[in-house]
Amino acid sequence: MKLKKLMAIAMVGAMTLSMAACGSSGEKASGSDGASAGGDESLVVWTLASDLQDFGERYQEKTGVTVETVVIEPADYPTKVQTALMGGETEPDIIVGEPQMLEDFYDNGFFADLDEMGAKDYEGQIVDYVWKVGQDSEGIQRAISYQITPAGIYYRRDIAQEVFGTEDPEEIGKLFADYDTILSTAQTLKDAGYRIFASDAEMNYFSGDSAWVVDGKLNVSDARFDYMDLACNLYQNDLTAYANQWSTPWYQAMSGEVPILTAEIQNYEDDSVNVWDEAEFEKATADLEKTTVFAFGLPSWGVLTMRDNVGETSGKWGVCSGPAYGFGGGTYIGISSLSEKKDLAWDFVKFCTLDEETADWWIEYSEGDTVSLLSALDKHKDDENAIYGNQKLYSFWLNQAKGIDYSKVTKYDKVIDDAWGAAISSIKTGQASKEEAMETFYDTIASTYPEIQIER
Amino acid sequence: MGFRIKKGILYLALIVLALTCLLPFLLMLVNATRSGSEISQSFTFIPSHYLRENWERLFDYFNIFLGIWNSIKVAVPATILGIYFPALTAYGLAIYKFKGNKFIFGAILVFMMIPGQLSLIGFYQLCTKLHLVNSYLPLTIPAIAAAGTVFFLRQYILASVPLSLIEAARIDGANELYTFHRIIIPIIAPAMATMGIMGFIGNWNNYLLPMIILNKNDKFTLPVMMATLRASLDIQANQGAIYLAVALSVIPILIVFCVFSRYIISSISAGAVKG
Repeated sequence: MKLKKLMAIAMVGAMTLSMAACGSSGEKASGSDGASAGGDESLVVWTLASDLQDFGERYQEKTGVTVETVVIEPADYPTKVQTALMGGETEPDIIVGEPQMLEDFYDNGFFADLDEMGAKDYEGQIVDYVWKVGQDSEGIQRAISYQITPAGIYYRRDIAQEVFGTEDPEEIGKLFADYDTILSTAQTLKDAGYRIFASDAEMNYFSGDSAWVVDGKLNVSDARFDYMDLACNLYQNDLTAYANQWSTPWYQAMSGEVPILTAEIQNYEDDSVNVWDEAEFEKATADLEKTTVFAFGLPSWGVLTMRDNVGETSGKWGVCSGPAYGFGGGTYIGISSLSEKKDLAWDFVKFCTLDEETADWWIEYSEGDTVSLLSALDKHKDDENAIYGNQKLYSFWLNQAKGIDYSKVTKYDKVIDDAWGAAISSIKTGQASKEEAMETFYDTIASTYPEIQIER
Repeated sequence: MGFRIKKGILYLALIVLALTCLLPFLLMLVNATRSGSEISQSFTFIPSHYLRENWERLFDYFNIFLGIWNSIKVAVPATILGIYFPALTAYGLAIYKFKGNKFIFGAILVFMMIPGQLSLIGFYQLCTKLHLVNSYLPLTIPAIAAAGTVFFLRQYILASVPLSLIEAARIDGANELYTFHRIIIPIIAPAMATMGIMGFIGNWNNYLLPMIILNKNDKFTLPVMMATLRASLDIQANQGAIYLAVALSVIPILIVFCVFSRYIISSISAGAVKG
């Protein structure tokens, strides 16, 4: 009797388990059938930007090769690729990376050697800095990007005309030529009733004029300190509108007049103004002085951000160069070293990055993204963008990209940039003296990357 | 009169409390109807008219119902396995006296403290060797070894199951498993329901492991799918769609909560032994 019941229960248990197992294994079988039935040739792309999904669809249309794109959130992408490739996964054929991830990927051998596939033949067809970022420390080509992301300063042409008597990008660029000039430009604008920037972090993309780590040593150049001083000066001398980058008032400043907030509001010390609530925000800031913001500092993809937010000021914007060359972001495409279809994968990489027809299509499809293929940039160099006063943006970005020094990117950038930003904000708000903040900064770096030598 | 005033104040306080709990929810629903640039520019409780656009944008990226179905296929088995087997273990540890009982319990406590994320690469290698990548098995079967649940249920059984009840069952001729199923489970049902709700929410929202183990778009669970919305170049434009996806993904959790919470309330009063 006892045995019988025990058996019955054991069988029920076994059945539930096997049902669960069947459920999943049945799924698995049908899933792989679907993939192989799609065509003899197929590629698997693991990406962090949905752009490649569009490229994949386009490639499928053109060649008939089934492209399966798996999009993974950028923050988790390195974890996913590392776990999978170290675990010996052969499934992805194409993997990608952003500049700060690339060095780790190169060191771990995740990317296949593109020179073996013949990448050398294409040298010189891609904007130089992009080509170089795609090389590992030994100069072997590992990845190529389809876009360039040089930084520029987006400014209001009408205000420039009124205050400086010219709206020419070349002339305005001179007003941003170095950090001292920027400060005096800011003062001039303030005297005229405007503010130069909405936030004090607008020059961030230009501050990377030297590498953070040189020969294993932490390198804090004078330009870094100049940038620190600029941010503190802008903040302490009341030269910005005290908005935080990517916050509500910051976006609003793109479309016209905004109230000048106070330093306390920006650090959330004074919470009488809710910067995230439009109605309340308007009421609370009704007494505050209003101003119009002159400029924003963003990489070339800012063209699209501005386009969505400028509203009625469309057409009144211009783009000029900043105090240094800089770039932000970009997706680099390479082949997984464990891929079993490297030749087909190489064809896909060429299609995305080195094909002029694809570049043309992408410029149109993305409504203004900046490609890295020189011949396409040349072809579109006379394209005018109405939002930016009919400026010829592609030739401008190409010129900016020419000045970028690829060697300044290190794998430590993200952490060091964040620590540096924290140091700047504690100094500008007076929470810490410069010495204290620098000590904290060095301590953070020393504890995160013990291998970096630090000269205090 | 005084009673009425007191009651009025109490109600007012409760209403305020309820509103504070519900406002973020409402905000989520409202934001699901607004466009990305509206969301990043301001904050309001007045719905806008972009629900349709958000819906289309969302389905442009993926089919959220497939994601919900995939998540159900992971969360339901994992939850069932993750409360039944720990209950069995906890019962054994709490009631039976045998050599090594303390040691096993101690070992379970130690395992509770090790975060599973540490062994990610090893786990992935194991799954590749067993051909379990892209399968839901590595996401559901390990739920059996829920150390925390064992600990919780053991303490609950020690506190609420009188030994005399089990003796009575034995005298009446019930075998051990029968006792467990017919007598113990009804008593510890509130605790199991609590762990069930937590387990379900945990499995439903589990992101890291499915993100690592699943490599096919059509197998992604809901959190992994939703994270891809943030991978777009134009994150801002997707804000509304993200809110819509979150709003849709909360519905199953609400249903599960409603079902299980009834058990919590109904069995608390179900006493067992008469004094």
